[in-house]
Order: sequence, then structure tokens, then C-alpha cells
Amino acid sequence: MATRLQFENSCDVGVFSKLTNAYCLAAIGGSENFYSTFESELADVIPVVKTSIAGTRIIGRLCAGNKNGLLVPHNTTDQELQHLRNSLPDQVVVRRIEEKLSALGNCIACNDHVALTHTDLDKETEEIIADVLGVEVFRQTIAGNILVGSYCAFSNRGGLVHPHTSIEDLDELSTLLQVPLVAGTINRGSEVIAAGMTVNDWTAFCGSDTTATELSVIESVFKLREAQPSAIVDEMRKSLIDTCV
Amino acid sequence: MPQEPARHHRLLPVRPLTFSPFARSVARVATAYLVKHYMHNAVQQSAGDEFKEKLKIIGRRSESSEDEEFDGVVQADFAFFDPKPDDFHGVKTLLQSYLDNKQWDLSGFVDLILGQTTVGTVVKLEDDEDNGVFSIITALNLGRYKDHKCITELKEFLLNICHEKDKIGNLRSLLGVEAQKVGLLVSQCVVNLPPELLPPLYDALFDEISWATEDEPTEELRNSFRFQFYVVVSKFYKHKNANQKRSSSTDKDEAFVYIKPEDEILHKLSMWSFLFPLQTQQVATHELKNYQLTGIVMAVKAEDISSFRQQLHALINES
Repeated sequence: MATRLQFENSCDVGVFSKLTNAYCLAAIGGSENFYSTFESELADVIPVVKTSIAGTRIIGRLCAGNKNGLLVPHNTTDQELQHLRNSLPDQVVVRRIEEKLSALGNCIACNDHVALTHTDLDKETEEIIADVLGVEVFRQTIAGNILVGSYCAFSNRGGLVHPHTSIEDLDELSTLLQVPLVAGTINRGSEVIAAGMTVNDWTAFCGSDTTATELSVIESVFKLREAQPSAIVDEMRKSLIDTCV
Repeated sequence: MPQEPARHHRLLPVRPLTFSPFARSVARVATAYLVKHYMHNAVQQSAGDEFKEKLKIIGRRSESSEDEEFDGVVQADFAFFDPKPDDFHGVKTLLQSYLDNKQWDLSGFVDLILGQTTVGTVVKLEDDEDNGVFSIITALNLGRYKDHKCITELKEFLLNICHEKDKIGNLRSLLGVEAQKVGLLVSQCVVNLPPELLPPLYDALFDEISWATEDEPTEELRNSFRFQFYVVVSKFYKHKNANQKRSSSTDKDEAFVYIKPEDEILHKLSMWSFLFPLQTQQVATHELKNYQLTGIVMAVKAEDISSFRQQLHALINES
């Protein structure tokens, strides 16, 4: 299910949070509403960790991660790094990398199997991404934009990309990522997809300006409607009734 | 695996200062003229392949000029437009801190402003593809929109932050009983907007208001623009020792530093006003280290507006 929320008065929830299949990071904000919305959706399933990165709240744009690991920029403080290592599950490897393009969230878009990166990323960084996150790395652009981490958001089940992506690019990316892709917008026509939303395999969080149409596109491309814990139980129940008859 | 060739957008080298589209459009003003000027000459001479050649030359030329010292003079053609639904993101960014850091229906408020096309102006660049909004000005009748969630939240905010007992009665009556005659004057612009734009901008607003009193289709709408009072919510810098100021005559610092020049005139002309503390932290620059950013709510009589317009013209023309 997709949830609409706000961080203070901003609809850019993808800037202030990072959601993966194994954990969720949230920025420290003025009011507790932001954090508690994540908690209420995710508390039983994955840990929700409040943190800052490099002393800032724009954590979603500075770090990149998936269920295997989390990469943070060189200006992350030692205390923040220790806090992340302590709070995240043991199987998640947290690594601070020396890369001059320090907004890793803007430069890297990934799910648990594939990553798309900025074309100018260091070769060394590419190797670390492949190693820590356990993904295959592709240098790509999206609709001519090199900040791939900003203009697309994808999970293991689907992806949303910049609205001006051509059909050929869409097919090419879809083949690379092995998931269905759709070109669309978030937060009432904003093209910066990853800034406006954050998603994993069973849930998504979008800015509150997101229209009903945009939300239904998101729920359908990321296959969020079927991804409810109760759906599995209902299916089992149906098969039980069948066998009873 | 085939790589996508870099597209034309690389020809316009833009250094985004932040990742907000608002600051990016300000940065684009810096490069927009350079390309526009060369392109104007290019178009006059030829078309087709030669044009593409020239585009590449422009790209290289402006790239090299970016490496040199930027001489600081930018030509821009600002134009006044009626509010349109497309301006949503630009206007929302400008009004982000309108009610300090209170979480309220800002999107609804922006929709209200953009829905009122007869009164209100948006300042944008002449042919800007990015649709960057540089300024918004409008007047909303508090009675007409009283049922909207954003207006009720706004009224609640103002009543809660007013801690001056003698003013709260006036405020309550303006927001309640007299709301039909009160216009909320909303005016926000980017920090570096040339002040020469302000007098025509305010003139345009007050002219539109007077035209609306005659041109609107229904009697009710016509009456809704017959404002008797205007309420203004704004911010300015108050000297931290402003209360003890009167005693020391050696102090060269002014008590108030206004961010928007029109606020100074409105403050002087206001019937009453009160200050309120802001919760958002501000970065203190060296020159303003003795000053505190404070919020202010002012009520101005509609009769004083013509005097305001004259004083604004005088203030901008002499500076």
C-alpha cells in the first residue's frame, strides 16, 4: 500500500528518508509525525532508524543502499557511522566511501539485484557498490539526466522513471533492470521521482501532493496492492475452503 | 552496452547551487541571457546544419566564459502573468515558510491563490521553459474563503501566536465578524528580485482589485473585493536590544531591518501590528549578528493604500 505523508511542510519525503527491504532510515525532524508514520507501517517488520548524515537531514539523497548494505558519503561523522552500525541488522554492511560525488543517493539507484549509477562515478566506487550491495552495476542516464538516483525509483518488482524518458530508453532500462518500468511523475507533476517518494517491495511512501492518479500508477507498477500480509492468508483460506468441499 | 549520448542540455552549463528547482532557476537566469543573445544572432543568419554548428560553438563559447570570472551583469526580461495552475510548484516554494514551521494545508492555500485569476500576479521570465516563479502577489478575501481548511488553519495560527492582549480583540474581529471586508495580502518574492519591480507589482494588484469590484460577474464577487482592511503576515529583523534602544543615542544600528522594502511603509501606515517569535532557526550573517528574525502581523486600512503606493514609488525611485 502507498501512504502519503509530509516532512514538516515539504512533500519531498524521498529526501528525508531511505527505505529498503531490510531497514528504513528517517531524518530527525521538527515533529514526530514523520517518524511515527514509518513506525506504524513498518515497526513489526523492519527497524526504523532515526539518523542524520554529515550533520544534515537530507539523508535520502546522501546515502544509497539495499537489503545487503548501506553506502554513506565520506563526510559522514564517526558517531553517525557507529549509530548506523549499531541500529541496523547485522547482515547489512555499512560502508563509508571516499567518492567526490558525495550525494550518493542522487548518483546511485538500486534494488537488491541491479544498480544504475552516475556516468562519472569512480571505478573504485563502482567496485565497492558491486561488492557491498551485491548488485550488478550499470552506468546509465535517464532522459538525458546523469543523476540517475534522483530521476528514478525502483524496487525488485517495478520502477518509476522520469516522465520524459523515451520508449526506447524505457525498454532498454527495463531489460537491464529486469523489472517493468513506467514513466511518470510524483507530487503533482514533479519530475524528480526519487525525491518525492521512497519504496520497497511491499510499501511506498509518497509526498502528500501526490495526486490519486499518480498514486494508482505507483501502486500498480510496484505491485503494492497484492503485497499485503493479509492477502497471503486470504489465499490460503480459499484453498482450505476448496479442500473442505 | 550502448551508452546514451549526452543531449543538448549539456550545452547550457548550469551549476546547480542546491538541488531545489527554485535555486536552479535562479542560477539559470545567469546563463539564459548568454545563450539567448548568441542564439538571436545565429537564427538571423541561417538554419539547419549551420545552426547546429553554431549551437555547438555557442556551447563551447559559453563553457569557456563560465570558466572566466563572471562579470555579474545579467539581463533578464521579467513579465507579469495571471496565476495559472502550472505555477503550483514555484508558488509553493516561495510560500514554504509563510506560517513559520507550522504544518498546514499549504497546497490548498496555493490552489486558492492560483484559482483566483482576476486578482493576483505571478512574476516570471519572458520565455522561460522552466516556468520559474520569481514573485507572487495576491489578496484573498478572508470571508469568501472562510470554509477552506487552509484559511481556518491560518486564522487559528494567527490567533494562537498573538500574545498582546490589546491586539487580540482587534485580530479576532478582523478574522471573524469583519472577515468579509478583510483581504489577506500575500506577497513573496525571491531575495534578489530587483526592487524596481515592486511599485508596478503593487500597482497591478490594487488596480486589479478595483477593476474586480466592477468586472466580476456576480454582485457577491464584486463585493468580495471591496476590501476595507488588509492583513499582512511577514518577517523582518529586529535588533536584539530594541527595547533598550531608546536610552542609548550612541547606537548607530537601526531597531528594525526590513527584508522587503514595502514592509517598512506598511508598518508605519498600519492601524495596529504585533510581533511573534519564529521557531525556525536562521543562519546569522556577520552584519546581522545583533538581529533576530521576527514575525509580524499588520492590519492596514484600505484608505491608506494610495498613500502606500505613493510612498513605495518614492522609496524605490530614490534608492
